[in-house]
Amino acid sequence: MFWRFVIRAVRFRSRRLVLAFAGLAVAATLATTLFSVYSDIDRKMRHEFRGYGANIVVAPAADSQTVPLQVVEKAERLGAAAAAFVYTIGRIGDERVVEAGVDFGRVGPLTSYWRVEGARTAAAGECLAGSAVAAHFHLAIGQNVALASGPCMLRGVITTGGPEDNQLIVPFNRAALDAGFQNAASLVEVRANGQRIEQVREALARAIPAADVRILHAVAETEADVVLKVQNTVFLLAMVILAITTLCVTGNFSALVIERSKEIGLLKAIGAAESKIAALFLSESLVLALVSSVTGYGVGLAVAYAIGRSVFTSAPQASTTGVNFAVFLPVAAVTILVAALATIVPASRIWRIEPAIILRGE
Amino acid sequence: MRRAPRRKAMAVGAVALGTAVATAMLGAMLEVGDRVNSELRSLGANLMVTPKSSTLPVEIGGIRYQPAAKDEFIPEAVVPKIKSIFWGLNITGLAPSQHAQTQAGGRQIPVEGVWFRRNFRAPGGTTVSSGLRALNAAWRVEGRWVDDPEPNDRDDECLAGAALARRLGLQPGATIDLFGEPFRVAGVLSTGGEEDDRVFIRLEVLERLTGRAGQVDAIEVGALTKPEDAFARKNPDQMNPTEFERWYCTPYINSIALQIEEALPMAVARPIRRVADNEGRVLSRVRGLMLLVALAALATAALTVWSAMAATVLERRYEIAIMQATGAANWLVAALFGAEAAVEGAAGGLIGALAGVGLSGWVSRTVFGVRAETPSLLVPLVVGMAVAVALAGAAQPLRRALSLEPARMLREGA
Repeated sequence: MFWRFVIRAVRFRSRRLVLAFAGLAVAATLATTLFSVYSDIDRKMRHEFRGYGANIVVAPAADSQTVPLQVVEKAERLGAAAAAFVYTIGRIGDERVVEAGVDFGRVGPLTSYWRVEGARTAAAGECLAGSAVAAHFHLAIGQNVALASGPCMLRGVITTGGPEDNQLIVPFNRAALDAGFQNAASLVEVRANGQRIEQVREALARAIPAADVRILHAVAETEADVVLKVQNTVFLLAMVILAITTLCVTGNFSALVIERSKEIGLLKAIGAAESKIAALFLSESLVLALVSSVTGYGVGLAVAYAIGRSVFTSAPQASTTGVNFAVFLPVAAVTILVAALATIVPASRIWRIEPAIILRGE
Repeated sequence: MRRAPRRKAMAVGAVALGTAVATAMLGAMLEVGDRVNSELRSLGANLMVTPKSSTLPVEIGGIRYQPAAKDEFIPEAVVPKIKSIFWGLNITGLAPSQHAQTQAGGRQIPVEGVWFRRNFRAPGGTTVSSGLRALNAAWRVEGRWVDDPEPNDRDDECLAGAALARRLGLQPGATIDLFGEPFRVAGVLSTGGEEDDRVFIRLEVLERLTGRAGQVDAIEVGALTKPEDAFARKNPDQMNPTEFERWYCTPYINSIALQIEEALPMAVARPIRRVADNEGRVLSRVRGLMLLVALAALATAALTVWSAMAATVLERRYEIAIMQATGAANWLVAALFGAEAAVEGAAGGLIGALAGVGLSGWVSRTVFGVRAETPSLLVPLVVGMAVAVALAGAAQPLRRALSLEPARMLREGA
């Protein structure tokens, strides 16, 4: 009998209930969307900062000119990207030029900001030229560069706006040989996950005391700062939006009870207990809340996924894990709680309704 | 109209709440992009201005292995001209420097003569201050910065890089000999980069020591830019005049570089890709994120307003039927309800818009610690939207109610 009441109520008042349902479902959708976005924003924003390249630099210690090469392996074991560089002075004809040795197999993640014409990497016997070098010596891609220590074939020209523009870039081993370095580099650049940067720095400094391990403060701190601020903005907005939608839903549900004073009066007149009537309304609301939280959760996940996809498309592994299933329970809990509260508060009227007065008319 | 104040209040309240969401989101969306843009500026210069040169700089870690040509420099006097370009207001910082090297601790060390925070007269008569400090907000100094609001070529203060200070055992307050003159270490600078191995002194002091008065080797420039899009990457030489004008009048990094080259014909301005490109990328991600979250919230706000209005009309089908039965024309009923919806939409919209402006201001203050400037257009725009959505919400159930037979409606009862 009780459930028949509930089901009938849903059936007969479908239009009115659809509105209440829509309101609640929208709130649940918004909650899911905002919290999915929020929970993932740290990882995704940090991912966008990887283009800045290294955030740790390992330079020679005070009394030395080189950095031991084992730094690279050590950093990689700590889960960071690392590449060694050698700088030496080479000669083309009777002019001097900075010869930079780069570990092309490893340097990729650190140099995504290079603008390259031609190839990005060079094999043994090949080289890349900074744009100023290429212009100064009138070098064209495919041409042989008459480097004094042995010619190399030019594979690409790079532009960065930084010191690389004035360098001739050769494979690491070639430059190390020209510089006379053995198992050593001029500099090792490391890109560590922004959240673990301090741990990585400490571990490297401890493992290789014969080097100066420095955090590039500008890169590391700007990243932390911007990520934190974007995250806080989304969080505060999420809170504001949720508070407001909750208020709206509450109004909507209260109206459901208030509108039906007549039916309540009738039920009381034929002898129904107040608590029974209240339970009737409450279960109606809870059914609505359950259905709308499931719906809202589904839609919200889709929206969060779409936002993740269209904003952060360049993060391949991030796009698949853009949704957070752990969000469901809190969303459902909050939705049901809101619906229950929004019903219980006006339901107190049930006790105060005088059937005779209500049924007589306005 | 004056009857049923409770229901009216609820409708107005619903509209106000929805509008508050919309305004807060729009306000925050407009604000966050600009804020993040200026935060990203703490990464340092995104443009490097150097003299046009016929020789290739041969330099490793600030040590030159080949002397620069004597007649290639930027005159210090033209540096302020950078502020006079079309996008001069977007130039947030500029730091001219002269480079030299000297012997210290048995090694060649690079010495840079710079503006730390110099007051200079910008074209247009205003006094601006700029230099290394403004440009590199993320740099840390132990001790204190060198303060150089006015030129003084007898000053003896310097800033020592952290690695150099460690090697030579320098603390703030210590003394170091540069070019045969004693300098006092005001502070120790640690950036993590090449600056850690350098010494910084006042530009005019280095000019005196090197005998190169008024000569600048490089100007680092920080500019607020618009992220590059496909149009920005087009070659300006191949554009038609209208395209070129649009390109020139947009603060792309390349158009600012071109304008600097026009103002300083002896120089080349190159974007520092590592900073400039990533700035654009991060910024467009943040903007995109806020835009989509705002759209989601806007859609929600619209739905809330719409459903509140629809509910109001639904509840009053009975009244509508009575009006019809007593001979009111359909258009009259529609106009009556429409006017009511519009009034409720406007009232709720205004309250909500003001509350929303307050909320987005609060978010901006809490997160960025800056007072938000809400564009004045936002409030009327949002109120207009609230009225439109309220009318749309009322329209559909109203049309349905009007199309029903009054007799049937009344018999069914409310």
